[in-house]
Order: sequence, then C-alpha cells, then structure tokens
Amino acid sequence: MTGTATPTGTRHLDQGIAPDRYARGWHCLGLERRFTDGKPHSVPAFGGKLVVWQDSTGGLNVLDGYCRHMGGDLTQGQVKGDEIACPFHDWRWGGDGKCKQIPYARRVPLRARTQRYATAIRNQQLFIWFDPEGSAPDESLLPPELPGLTSGKYTDWVWETEQIEGSNCRELIDNVVDMAHFYYVHLAFPTSFRNVFEGQQATQFMESKGRPDVSGGYGSEDFFLKSEATYYGPSYMINWLWTDYKGFKTEVVLINTHIATGPDSFTLQYGIIVEKPEGMDDETAAFIGQKYADMFGQGFLQDVHIWKNKVPVQNPLLCEEDGPVYQLRRWYEQFYVDVADITPDMTDRFEFEVDTDKANEFWQDEVAANLARKAEEDAAAEAASASEAEGADPALMSGT
Amino acid sequence: MASFVPTDPETLEDQRRYTQARLTRVECLDCLAAVGVKKNSEHHTSVQWSSQAAAACPDLVRRRAESPDGRLLHHACPRMSASIEAAVRDGRLTIGAEDGY
Repeated sequence: MTGTATPTGTRHLDQGIAPDRYARGWHCLGLERRFTDGKPHSVPAFGGKLVVWQDSTGGLNVLDGYCRHMGGDLTQGQVKGDEIACPFHDWRWGGDGKCKQIPYARRVPLRARTQRYATAIRNQQLFIWFDPEGSAPDESLLPPELPGLTSGKYTDWVWETEQIEGSNCRELIDNVVDMAHFYYVHLAFPTSFRNVFEGQQATQFMESKGRPDVSGGYGSEDFFLKSEATYYGPSYMINWLWTDYKGFKTEVVLINTHIATGPDSFTLQYGIIVEKPEGMDDETAAFIGQKYADMFGQGFLQDVHIWKNKVPVQNPLLCEEDGPVYQLRRWYEQFYVDVADITPDMTDRFEFEVDTDKANEFWQDEVAANLARKAEEDAAAEAASASEAEGADPALMSGT
Repeated sequence: MASFVPTDPETLEDQRRYTQARLTRVECLDCLAAVGVKKNSEHHTSVQWSSQAAAACPDLVRRRAESPDGRLLHHACPRMSASIEAAVRDGRLTIGAEDGY
C-alpha cells in the first residue's frame, strides 16, 4: 500500500496501525453487586487481567491480576482477611497495592508493590482509573449519577456482557457519528441526527422511527425513538431514550460501556433501566426492561457482525450526508496521547447537524417499494394457497 | 505518542480536508464569539468553536455553570445559530459541498 490515491485516481484504504496503549480515563467494570460476594473476580483488561475483590470494610479493590512474586494468577486465589492471597505461594496483597504478608518469610521486601487501580462507584457500577502515565485519579471526570436511581424510579438493571474479538474498540466509538448505519444495520429510520463534542464528552442526538418493511431492527413502524447519547470519557456512554409506541411512552436509560482487552478485542457491556410508569407493577416494568435489553442486545450483535468482517479504516471516504467521523476520532485521540500532548482541537467544542433530507427521501421510496413488493408476494401466495385449499379460513393464511 | 497511526501521508491531507477545509468565520451578532462554519447544504451545518469563542458566549458559559453533568451544553447556542442563518442570508456564508466535504 503506497498511497491513498494512485495517478489513475484509485483510492486505497489506509488501515493504519492500532495504538500500542489503552485509553486514559475511568473505565466501568460492571455492576458493583457482581463483585461483592467475598470472592476474587477476574476482569480481562488492557492486554492482561485484573483481580477484583471486596475487603472487610465493604470496599472494592482492583489490582493487576498477576502476582509480582512468580506471576501466579491472583484471580484464582482466595480472599484472606482484607487481602487477596496468591494460589502459588500465598503472598498476600492489599488493596493499596502493597504486599502485606508472606506467611513463610521473615519479612516482606520493601519493593513488593504491584499495580493498583483507584476505584469509584457510580450508578451502582464499579469504575477504575486507568492512565499509562500513572496520574492520580481525576474524580471530576467520573460520569454523572443518574437521579432517582436509588429511590425506585427505575426498574432494576438488566446487564449483559459480550466479548468482541477481532476489532479495535474504536469501531464502537465510530457509531456516535454514523447516521446511515442505523438504517442499514439496525433497520431504523433516522429522521434527525446531530453531534456535539466538547472536552471529554461526545454526544449524539437522534430521532428515528421503526422500518415497516423489515423486522428484527429497532422496533416497528409505530415505534418512535428520541435518543440522547453521551460518552463521558473514552468508554462509558449514557444513552437517554424516550420511546413512543402507539402513544405508550417510556423513558429508558441504556448504559453502553467497554474495556479494551487487547489491540483488537474488547469487552462490551450494556445495561438497561426503565422508568416505571405510574401504576405499573414491578413485574411488568421488569418485563419491559428485558424486552429493551433484548432489542438493543440484538442491535449490538448486528454491529458485531459488521465489525468481524470489516477492516480498520484510517482514511474513511465520506459523502455529504455522512457524520463527522474525522472530528470524532480527533476527539477520541485525546485519551491515547500523553496529557501534555493533548491539542486544543481535540477538546474544543464542535457541533454538527447531519443533513437527513436526501437520505429520508430515498429511504421513504425504498421502504414503499419493499412494502409494495411484499404485498404482491403476499397476494400471490394467498391466491396459490386459496386454489389449493378452497374454503379454508383466509385469516389463517398470512402468506409470510 | 500517537495512536491509530496512519501509514499513508495522504491520510494527513484527508484529515485536514475534512476537519479544516472551507471553514468560514462567522461572528456572533450578540457577543464576541467567532466560529468556523461549513454548510454543505441548507440542512447541514458544521460549527468549529475555539476555547476563546466558547468563553465569550454568555449562553454557553451560563449553561456550563448550571449543568454539572454537561447535558445542558449539548444544545447549540440559539444566538449563534441565528448569526449563522444571517450570514447565509447576507451571502457571507455560501452553501455547497466540494466532493463530499
């Protein structure tokens, strides 16, 4: 590959080189309750693994998963008192990263310190601060608390985890600006689409409706969705969703968060809570929450299928109706450079309104054509089966 | 240390083209903020702020102070939007794209 454009004008893909480091910032490891059973937990992250455990004060501790003595896997160890004990030689590590005890030794070497990660709890989830430069955690960069979360305003979390292999996590980030993929991949119909990037936040506003000509996407023709989705830092997105299905309005909060596990793999986690409508019993509300989790889960799998088969692109070729991919990636770059190398253009405010007019015009026609073809096929199938089985109840012959 | 390193010098030119080319300076009619604007069509708008411009906009400054979670900042300043529309009407900002950018 020698150039993006040859003398004949052929364009080449620049696949670039994946970063050799991971994003600085707060990373969500999942729901707090997953880690509070007194056992060590393994979390793959940043090319290795982390060990997470709860100590006797109730606090959660996160260390690098491998013992600094002989490399034993601490996630297979035991919690002893407040410490995690290595299964190999029983070295005991505290949440502050220091080795507290080596039961068979006279004393602990002074240099016995391992990598620890500062922790925080937000929205009933565990976060760790990660920075290759080793800076102190910046609490001001934590995502906001969701108001009403602990007062029973919402259903309980439905929380899911997916391992993604063969893709750098930037593929997921790119979705923030990708208006047209919602039609083609998620089978929804975006009618309005807008982005704002500033500081450590990147936001997408979208209004969409379901496609009546296909199923398996984000709802049916009667399904209207208004969405405000913000990345707080490099990996944690809060997506506020207002849905309207035949006048039945619901407020949903979707958390979309990931941890890079390697240069071309990451763990995707998503969680759903639904605002409980007035007078609705908990069971029904939980059912609705699960339905939304299923729908968005299916949506992520639609993305994953694309990611598994595509190549990375450093020089996307854009048309006038595309979103601001280059500006989004410029924003994302701030998390991968040293703090001293963050340039103003990475964090300066940027606003973008996508022109959905031409796309909507074309998509309306395409949907109408698909529906007309489907109606013809249905009619033909109905006629064929009617002649085969005269007198049968037509209501039983859907033909689809 | 850079990430996602391009392997092709042409990519740097693409980055410049898509993020900086054809930005027209638009000054707010109500405050000292000045931004870079590109309009590929009537509906499309791309607005590049600088930190000086954001600090000069009383609307953004007020919303920043009132919004610890940043959500109030996710909307455009209506005065700047009006100033951009005025620039289009007056012919200071031309609408149109060049081969996708």
